[in-house]
Amino acid sequence: SATNLTSIDIYQEAEIGKNSLKSILDKLKAKFQVNFAYMEEVNDQVLVQMPESNDLTQVLESLSSQTGYSFQLMGKSVLITLSKSGDESKKIIPVKGQVTDENGEAIIGAAVKVKGTNTGTITDISGNFELGVPSQSAILIVSFVGYQAKEVKIGNQTSFAIQLKEDAKQLEEVVVIGYGKQSKTRVTGAISSVKSEDLSKYTAGSFDQQLVGKMSGVMVSENAAAPGQDAQIVIRGTSTLTAGTNPLIVVDGMPLSEGTSLNDIPASSIASVDVLKDAASAAIYGSRASNGVILITTKKGSKGRAQLSFDYYTGIQQSAGGIEFANAYESARYFTHARDYGYVSKDPANRSEIDDVATRKANGASKREFRLNYLEPYLNGEEGLTDTNWSDELLRSAPVSNYSLSLNGGNDKTDYFANVSYFDQEGIVLTSGQQRYNANVSLRSKLSDRVEFGVNLNAAYTKVNDLKVGGFDEDPINMLWATYPFFSPYNEDGSLNIGAQHQANGPEDGALLENPVAMLENTKRVENRFRTFGNAYMQLELLKNLVYKTSVGTDFSSNHYDYFSPNTIGAYRQPFPNKQAKSWEKNSHYFNYLFEHIMTYANSFGDHDINLMAGATMQREDGVSTSVSGTGIADNNIDNIAGASSFGVTSDRYAWTQISYLARVQYYYKNRYQLSVAARRDGSSRFGDNTKWAVFPSISGGWIISEETFFPKQDFLTYLKLRANWGMTGNNQIGSYGSKALVTSSDYVMNGTLQPGFAATTAPNPNLSWETNTSSNFGFDVQLLSKVNFSVNYYQSTTTDLLLSVPVPEHSGYSKSLQNVGSMRNKGFELELNAVELNAGEFTFGFNANLTTNQNEILSLAPGQEQILTGYNSSFLTEVGGPLAQMIGYKVTGVYKDQESIEATPHLKGTIPGDYMVEDVNGDGIINADDKVALGTYEPKLFYGFGANMSYRNFDLSFAFNGIEGRKIFDQPVMQANTGEGFAVPTKDYVNNYYHPEFNPDGKYAQPNMGNFSSARKNTRGNSMDVLDADYLRLRNIQLAYKLPEAVLTKLNLSAARVYVAANNPLTFTKYAGANPDGKVTANLEQGSVNAIPHPVVKSYMVGMNLTF
Amino acid sequence: CDFDLNQSPITEKESSNFFKSEIEIEEAVYGVYGALRSNGVYELGIPVIGEISSDNTFDEVPANDGGNYGELDEFTVIPSNSVIASIWKDSYVAIQRANVVLNRIGDIPFKDEYVKQNRIGEMKFLRGLLYFNLVRIYGDVPLIIEETTDVNAAFGVERAAVSEVYNQIIQDLKAAIEVLPLDGGADGRAEKGAAQALLAKVHLTLKDYANAKQLLDQVQSSGQYGLLESGNDIFAIANKGNREVMFAVKFESGINGNSMGSSIFRMCTPSGYYASGKGHNIPTEQLYSLYEDGDLRKESYVKHVEGIYYVSGKMDAPTTVPDDAGNDFVVLRFADVLLMSAEVENELGNTALAAEMLNKVRQRSGASEVLADGQVTLRSTIAAERQMELVGEGHRWFDLLRTGQAIEVMNKHFAERGQNIVVDQDNLLMPIPQSQIDADPVLNQNPGY
Repeated sequence: SATNLTSIDIYQEAEIGKNSLKSILDKLKAKFQVNFAYMEEVNDQVLVQMPESNDLTQVLESLSSQTGYSFQLMGKSVLITLSKSGDESKKIIPVKGQVTDENGEAIIGAAVKVKGTNTGTITDISGNFELGVPSQSAILIVSFVGYQAKEVKIGNQTSFAIQLKEDAKQLEEVVVIGYGKQSKTRVTGAISSVKSEDLSKYTAGSFDQQLVGKMSGVMVSENAAAPGQDAQIVIRGTSTLTAGTNPLIVVDGMPLSEGTSLNDIPASSIASVDVLKDAASAAIYGSRASNGVILITTKKGSKGRAQLSFDYYTGIQQSAGGIEFANAYESARYFTHARDYGYVSKDPANRSEIDDVATRKANGASKREFRLNYLEPYLNGEEGLTDTNWSDELLRSAPVSNYSLSLNGGNDKTDYFANVSYFDQEGIVLTSGQQRYNANVSLRSKLSDRVEFGVNLNAAYTKVNDLKVGGFDEDPINMLWATYPFFSPYNEDGSLNIGAQHQANGPEDGALLENPVAMLENTKRVENRFRTFGNAYMQLELLKNLVYKTSVGTDFSSNHYDYFSPNTIGAYRQPFPNKQAKSWEKNSHYFNYLFEHIMTYANSFGDHDINLMAGATMQREDGVSTSVSGTGIADNNIDNIAGASSFGVTSDRYAWTQISYLARVQYYYKNRYQLSVAARRDGSSRFGDNTKWAVFPSISGGWIISEETFFPKQDFLTYLKLRANWGMTGNNQIGSYGSKALVTSSDYVMNGTLQPGFAATTAPNPNLSWETNTSSNFGFDVQLLSKVNFSVNYYQSTTTDLLLSVPVPEHSGYSKSLQNVGSMRNKGFELELNAVELNAGEFTFGFNANLTTNQNEILSLAPGQEQILTGYNSSFLTEVGGPLAQMIGYKVTGVYKDQESIEATPHLKGTIPGDYMVEDVNGDGIINADDKVALGTYEPKLFYGFGANMSYRNFDLSFAFNGIEGRKIFDQPVMQANTGEGFAVPTKDYVNNYYHPEFNPDGKYAQPNMGNFSSARKNTRGNSMDVLDADYLRLRNIQLAYKLPEAVLTKLNLSAARVYVAANNPLTFTKYAGANPDGKVTANLEQGSVNAIPHPVVKSYMVGMNLTF
Repeated sequence: CDFDLNQSPITEKESSNFFKSEIEIEEAVYGVYGALRSNGVYELGIPVIGEISSDNTFDEVPANDGGNYGELDEFTVIPSNSVIASIWKDSYVAIQRANVVLNRIGDIPFKDEYVKQNRIGEMKFLRGLLYFNLVRIYGDVPLIIEETTDVNAAFGVERAAVSEVYNQIIQDLKAAIEVLPLDGGADGRAEKGAAQALLAKVHLTLKDYANAKQLLDQVQSSGQYGLLESGNDIFAIANKGNREVMFAVKFESGINGNSMGSSIFRMCTPSGYYASGKGHNIPTEQLYSLYEDGDLRKESYVKHVEGIYYVSGKMDAPTTVPDDAGNDFVVLRFADVLLMSAEVENELGNTALAAEMLNKVRQRSGASEVLADGQVTLRSTIAAERQMELVGEGHRWFDLLRTGQAIEVMNKHFAERGQNIVVDQDNLLMPIPQSQIDADPVLNQNPGY
């Protein structure tokens, strides 16, 4: 029985260097001047590799071993028959069997051959084969591309169930490249790939979290770890100063909207993730590719009977980090020290810390120079007083569960995959969480031998109970830094304790925040998201080897955010009951659509293989958002904007369009010399009138040295390939109207009526264009012992024409101007190592590791501009010759203990005892900004991941680590807690180590001083003690699984079942004192700045199962 | 499907298509007035610097709001101070908007040329006013009087000398006086009298009493302005556009999504008096006791509140959201003109006339008459009268600078309050914002920072 391979398969297989038997025979006919005659049972569509020999006998042997057919040379003719050689017409034993993969899926077209003979066949659509063998001592060799060949002894058996394992070498793996696929051996760019099996070891709702530590060159920061938030992905270093850093996400060929939420793509529907890291690979995506391209392939159907699988896990999540704050007794001592010294230090000659309130008042003390009125019992050390750990009150152990049901099947015409899943996550912060419903369907069908169509459709509905809304008094985690431990979240009767801080702290102006638990329990902040994206395509084989594919893709997203804060709670400085209720609502949606036409031609000519691709795409996105804030809310009966009487409305709409032409030539000679040339021409509405179009070319080459005849065949070094490439990509993330000078509203009131005013608010730039990234990559791939793969890349990428929002002198009337100026470079090494299926009896072992270094340098800024100094206290320096956003600050050498030592040393104006002594770096006797020293960058010197998996019988155990070295963070919440200013709750570290003449004369931190917080102290914020080491090593996941044995499966009527226990992030090794060492702000020029306490990374413990029916 | 690569903004206007008609120029003019409402100009920056820095008030919690207001109160201002930064930025934004109108209006036909000339006068008045603020706060400042069309041209522009800035201010105000109407026609538009009064104040600052006198006399004889019977009515929200107010920056509560009010009440009022109050600008007990008993301004302009507080009576608490106070900010009013007149006459030796002007203001409040008892005595009487009458209106600090009294008065003020703070010459100018020196080091810093 013949397999019915179609043009589509031919096209795909042709990619990996094979052609149909018939086409090979046509070539051989010309080459050797022979005729081929074949019997009708022979399938001329079977795929074979073109034999390279010039000896006809050898060629025929090769074809015979590839196909299992017999090739008999008779004069100028060759007779091809099914598995019968003329001289072996002895007694034949008929045998039959089925070949399947590890999942029990039929393998179609596997070669089944009798060892040492030319007898053989291939399996049919159901994986079945029938064959005659010469004797019981014969051995069957079963092989299939991408799988390990298997030998089976015949014995007295006549029916066989043969299972093939996937080939450990991985070199035959197919990777997804832009607008096509390629065998891994033919990849000449820098592409990292992960399959779903590896991703799913980290159980998570969203795949971005699963990518952490998995690939070299891909740094995933969980800087926003709250439910429903996206991680930030940076590929090969930040390559822009002020444009966006989002990689382009392409799902099944559909480029999604910029900065798209990855949370809408359920991990359970992903088959593989391939990341195009270098410009040569990514250039085919042109102006959107300079931050890298993430290609996601969703799961597809496979031929065979319908298979239902159910995946489930459930677990408990906890916080994996946080700032350690002082307890109530320590805080009481600190606040008192701070307020006393604040009062006394303003006039030490006439003031004393024993002065009572009346005396202090008479001396002109301001409110914060009085002691907090309620601390006496704490200072006296009375036991049993309120001592609330607010982190414990806000955080909780929170359940998470995921249910996923998939159906997968198909016949020789049509296949399908469908998945529905439900992800239910409570957040580790009170009231937060998300519920997400996903459905996705993939369908492919062949209408005829030449026509195929397919649809991929994904839909997600997510309801997020959000945490962040507006100011710091509405972000519960961030409220921790100013919520005092002297207060309880609940009253004795269990009700919420409202306004306690306001009442107690009012007279002395202590922290005036609302109880964050009450704030959370009473406010509504719900986001509803609906997202659907996907594409449909039609593929036609116009001529032999020439395929035309047209597709239409869409991405639609609709968001509704609903916020309400009642008047039953207070807010920062607005005590209950004076606070007004407020409401806010935002509705937004966008619609993105794409038309694409791609023509592909693939063919072989002797030693020459060629693949050509050309296409055109058009994409457009339209977005609308309206937000309405409502005030004047009479009562709390309507908890949304409908209850308001006064409204503020803002409306925003945008559209962008892009038209692109693309082309690629891939050429392979003898399969070992590889060349790929590609170019894309993009036109975009985002750019200035003078610069709408640009071309992004690339060229890359590869050389498989180990295929050379001169390369000694050996068992140790089994594969060696060199790669080199060059290419250009662009960055267009400047918003839809970045090149336009806009006129925005600035209204006025005259005669009591609103007068619409307008003013130019952005500076024009008709020459605004793409950021261009030019990169080169050199690498080699090595395989040792056919088991261990090792890849090294060196890359250098230079971004020119940076889309730089240049701080301009404000006397121009503008603060910033977007310009194409300046350039920066990233360079580094990437190493990837993996080994699979190292066997020792029943024990198998595999491991993987990756490591990336990146070095960033600013090559130039705006003409005449040497540096950009920005951020808190001008602490972030981006200067020519230095790295992006280097943190700078004074180097603390000690704490001044008296006025004499201040006079005796260079010091900042306004320095008083208790302030920091800083180093006069340039030795000029003056302390000023010139004495600030470099304190490091957020961008780590290197990051890495490693892991292993091992199995013994039905058990398997896997784990993975990831880590970062050389990262620094200017954590402002920690700084606030360590300044001694006396408003924030101090850290444990600070209360134990601050300088105080009596309490701790050797303290290393500045003396607590509220009210007289000196200008010197303010100017030294962001000093060498405030920039923290944020290196970490994290056990990212560990999983132990058990596969149910065959006997049990049969009983349960299951075809496969697996149960597991797993932990995510159970261990983190770090010295970092902040809440999350991945925390950062989004502005690149201030990366490394943490200006609000971030949501901690979550650790979780899970049990789960995978059942296949 | 539309894949046109030429896409224009949908919810915003494009500069290249704007400023093309009379209507659009009028919108741009409102945009300039709108810039006066910004945080760094009259919503907060100018009033705050005029009051907090002076001896009128103290800061209840100097460390609050990052210490940015407390630094002004205690003379510990550092170059990264946010108030200083926003005054600079927002003033230049407003100046650029005025420059844009002045640059574009010439080519635009107006139905009525007279209106067009009025608008030109309004823009020059506003530009003069803004530079007058800047030069008094920072000293030398970059002098930009052309529309910025290439922002890069702003690099390398040095600070212009104070005298050069004043020359431009005088030139602008003179030009404004030429074309502005006696009556602006709408409550809030600049008019001739306002420009005259402002120019008079500039002359007074430069000690050019003769020119000041001429302008002040013209204002008084114009018949456009007068004192209200009750001082309370000047600032009342219900009484906007009254005849004492010559120029005010307009705020309105409860409209346009509560976006047209100001945050000054919230920032300046003690937290114990208003729930969201930040207490940055609380009248001192010394100020309160300046008013003699029977002076109606006591308990009206400055109210005593049980406990330690005195609060300004010239503002009303917002009833919508905390940052939505509805009082206008009065920049120039007739009582100020009379008091300037008194000062000018006194300096010119006409003490009797000076006392007469002074008493016009005092009579309204039921304060006792003062006598023309010598130029020197009268000089301090006038200064005290300005402090009492104009309290809370952002004049005091500039008056102290103008009369050269700042150092003496402030050091006395701190001594009386038991605060160990000494003011010196360097404190009289504010620093150039650090962000500006970072952006272009060609801007040098004022001494002492």
